[in-house]
Amino acid sequence: MAHPSQLGFQDAASPLMEELLHFHDHALMIVFLISTMVLYIIVAMVTAKFTDKLVLDSQEIEIIWTLLPAIILILIALPSLRILYLMDEINDPHLTIKALGHQWYWSYEYTDYEDLGFDSYMIPTQDLTPGQFRLLEADHRMVIPVESPIRVLISAEDVLHSWAIPALGVKVDAVPGRLNQTTFIVNRPGVFYGQCSEICGANHSFMPIVVEAVPLEHFENWTSLMIEDA
Amino acid sequence: MAGEEQESNSKGFRLLGILDVQKTPCARDAILHGAGGSLAAGLLHFLATSRVKRSFDVGFAGFMLTTLGSWFYCRMSNAKLRVQQRIIQDGMRNKIVYEGSVLDPTIKPAAETPSGPS
Repeated sequence: MAHPSQLGFQDAASPLMEELLHFHDHALMIVFLISTMVLYIIVAMVTAKFTDKLVLDSQEIEIIWTLLPAIILILIALPSLRILYLMDEINDPHLTIKALGHQWYWSYEYTDYEDLGFDSYMIPTQDLTPGQFRLLEADHRMVIPVESPIRVLISAEDVLHSWAIPALGVKVDAVPGRLNQTTFIVNRPGVFYGQCSEICGANHSFMPIVVEAVPLEHFENWTSLMIEDA
Repeated sequence: MAGEEQESNSKGFRLLGILDVQKTPCARDAILHGAGGSLAAGLLHFLATSRVKRSFDVGFAGFMLTTLGSWFYCRMSNAKLRVQQRIIQDGMRNKIVYEGSVLDPTIKPAAETPSGPS
């Protein structure tokens, strides 16, 4: 999860988010250099003592400030498109989960297993135990195995919602009557938090998403327990 | 998690308020190389021409080019290392999974002996 006053991204927990972080650093360096250049030009123009009153045109600078932005845009676009196509790769998911948005909770269905489905409500602030995070904890977490490609099918039962987990680089709209798909792999065990990312009513801010990535045998134990309890 | 979360001792230093040189890989080295390149280019130009303002311009151009060059070189190296790391991780995982099985590449197939009728 994010720590207080955090400005940057959370640490990546999936290969896609790692790539997004690297691309962000790349784009930010380009932005920094452009800003430095603009600042330098401003200072140079402000401190110039002489003015050339007879400038009509200048082919050289026109060529430079046409070509340079084009090159910069290509340098930004190529890695961006690479990641875009990486996101669409088909990677043979081991598990499919349906995440359905409701007002105002998420429900998860593990249809690969018989009869495994549950709702995930936010834990109210007054019911939190010490160490839990306000507005982020849910009573039932979506548990998945680490290092396994997971397919999540996202939809909604009433209004628009959005299923988002920053640490995994996932944000998918939940549209009523439509099934959106995303796939991801979690690199490391842990608990990853997200929040609904599409305005959906009074309690839009109070329907968090909690994904718990565990080793495979723990996942199998969990599914067995959940099926027994159902 | 139990206890208070400790803030990292080194809060990132952001150049122009946007580029965190401490936490962004390759950023610190690129900026330092750029500063060195800028100083060298500007100084050499001034020593050669004694033109102050133009030397500043050359120094700035040197900063941009050196920073970009160092940045891309470092990023390419890191990307190659990450690919190698991923290959090694996959190999280690596959070794654990396939060790001792028919698919284990380290087990050489035994020479086939002709078996007569029993």
